[in-house]
Amino acid sequence: MSSSTTILEDQSRLSLADRTYFKLESSLNLLGGIIIILLVLFATVNVLGRWLFDLPISGYIDWVEQSMAFMAFLGIAYTQREGGHIRMDMLVSRLHGRRLWLVELISTVMMLLVTLALIYGSYLHFWRAYSLGDSSLDIDLPTWPAKFVVPFALTVLALRLLLQIWGYIRAAIEDTDQPVAVPLIEDAAAVAAKEAAAIISPDDIQEDK
Amino acid sequence: MGVIDTMASMDNITIGLWVTGLMMLMVVIGVRVAFAAAMAGFLGLLWIFSAKLGFEKGLLVTIKMAGTIPHSKVSTLALSLIPTFILIGFLAYHAGLTRALFEAAKRWVGWLPGGMGVATVFSTAGFAAVSGASVATSAVFARIAIPEMLKLGYDKRFAAGVVAAGGTLASLIPPSAILVIYAIIVEQDVGALLMAGFLPGAVSALIYGGLVIFLASTRKNFGPPISGFSWKQRLQTLPGAMPIFLVVAIIMVCIYGGVGTPTEAGSLGAFIILVMALFKGMRWKELRSSLMETAKLTVMIFTIIWGVLLYVRFLGFADLPGAFSDWITSLDQNPMFTLILILLAYAVLGMFMDAIGMLLLTLPVVYPAVIALNGGDSVTAAESAFGVSGVGCSIWFGIIVVKMAEICLITPPIGLNCFVVAGVRPECSVQDVFRGVTPFFVADVITIAVLIALPGIVLWLPGLMGFS
Repeated sequence: MSSSTTILEDQSRLSLADRTYFKLESSLNLLGGIIIILLVLFATVNVLGRWLFDLPISGYIDWVEQSMAFMAFLGIAYTQREGGHIRMDMLVSRLHGRRLWLVELISTVMMLLVTLALIYGSYLHFWRAYSLGDSSLDIDLPTWPAKFVVPFALTVLALRLLLQIWGYIRAAIEDTDQPVAVPLIEDAAAVAAKEAAAIISPDDIQEDK
Repeated sequence: MGVIDTMASMDNITIGLWVTGLMMLMVVIGVRVAFAAAMAGFLGLLWIFSAKLGFEKGLLVTIKMAGTIPHSKVSTLALSLIPTFILIGFLAYHAGLTRALFEAAKRWVGWLPGGMGVATVFSTAGFAAVSGASVATSAVFARIAIPEMLKLGYDKRFAAGVVAAGGTLASLIPPSAILVIYAIIVEQDVGALLMAGFLPGAVSALIYGGLVIFLASTRKNFGPPISGFSWKQRLQTLPGAMPIFLVVAIIMVCIYGGVGTPTEAGSLGAFIILVMALFKGMRWKELRSSLMETAKLTVMIFTIIWGVLLYVRFLGFADLPGAFSDWITSLDQNPMFTLILILLAYAVLGMFMDAIGMLLLTLPVVYPAVIALNGGDSVTAAESAFGVSGVGCSIWFGIIVVKMAEICLITPPIGLNCFVVAGVRPECSVQDVFRGVTPFFVADVITIAVLIALPGIVLWLPGLMGFS
């Protein structure tokens, strides 16, 4: 389901920017993951508390709802960098060289345009909540932090898209097959091999020959 | 000016068709599905509002409306289930469940004809169900089960095929993220869908098991049964494999018994697997990588959900689903035939696209049409075209369409499960795997036919919960 593609590196400024920015994206994504495991622990405590001691956590629903945006958005740029947002690569997998990079450039520019529009719109959404002091139904949590994470994460994504646009333009100019800083397109066999390699569990390593 | 005037004077359904066409074009040239849908939704709203209010005002209204959707659509309690299921999946690899499960299955069903094959089917199905990941499950069991089958003298094509096919049992037995996504898109009860998936998933696994026994008794190239395990040896394997059953059972009991919300059930399941993984020696490095993968997959799913819901918001104005339903119900042919054509279209589409993307992109238009074909939201089973009530139809169609999407993982040209098995085992070519998987593909087609003919298999459990 989730696939990550190979990203090539070299000594160029583009690749350096890509790798540096990737550290920020990775931290945000990890934060999203930590919030997910906190949700799991939180809901476990809530249900056990209710079953065993008849003592559910007050405002449980409010906390969960407010945490959702963080899980859904913090890793959005990381996922884009890793080629994790799904798409149909039936056409692009048949293209090569300049033609391929131009098509990728067009689709990345389109993504950037819609992202920019959504940054502005979600910023307005956040600003309304912030200036009105909007809060959740049950225990009056402020809603603006969850609303702020959307324009914030989309801005991180927009910068990633700019990096990729730079990468595709460079690839098109150089007419290369080995572009840096952009996800490469891989066929089913390569995707499958990567998927297989990614999930070696500890007991496979010991016993598999 | 001519073009703009024409655009402004179009009726909403025509706008809907243009925008949907544009979205398909974007998807085909490789724009990420979530963003193609979001772009289409945005442009569609812009088009409709600009025609009414003029471009500048229309743009502002569109930006404001579209800007609320990403936050508001993901901030719901029902969706919080998805990350917990995904976390279960990624932690499951570290909980030492794969070998424990295979060992248990070997000792319990190995004495049957084709015993090692049967054991592979059930352990693959069990792990697939809990991990929710078809392709990854096939990869893991290709490493564990195929060498053992080859050692016993099994035909390599069969050995590869059984592992590739077993992985596809991931999405029906709870926990299943894709059924949750379906439920949310069609606004049906998440618990009802999860319960509905159990029997068809179990039936699929039993049919696979039966098929292996049949093949082993009628053909050569199958290894001998493995017998001689004492009851004590059998019982010893249970603790290691227990978390798998526990996770499925907790989710079913919580939902069926109504003692917990689905998210609480998913969280409890994840908690158990987490404890198990820590017990098996998982440290921060492995936990961190599980969290990264979980976060990434969660983001991917949520992005496509809000992207598609932005497009759905536009569809609400354009009423394309209504027009499509009217057209499809006006066709002068048997509704069942139309339904089968729709399913075949999914089979073709599934060859080129990930199941989640395919379902999310198409359901907003296709689902209302299927409900209309059956006779509408509130039709009774007796008066309906497919013999299921309105609510029943939405559950039943979901199960069938998800099963359909899974079959695409073992059909050429991009049957990922087959590629992954061939990738793990150098001795099997992709053609070998596709050939080995053929009997299972036939079995799946029969399963779908049975589910269509006997909706009761799907609807019995949800019916007991009051969804009928």
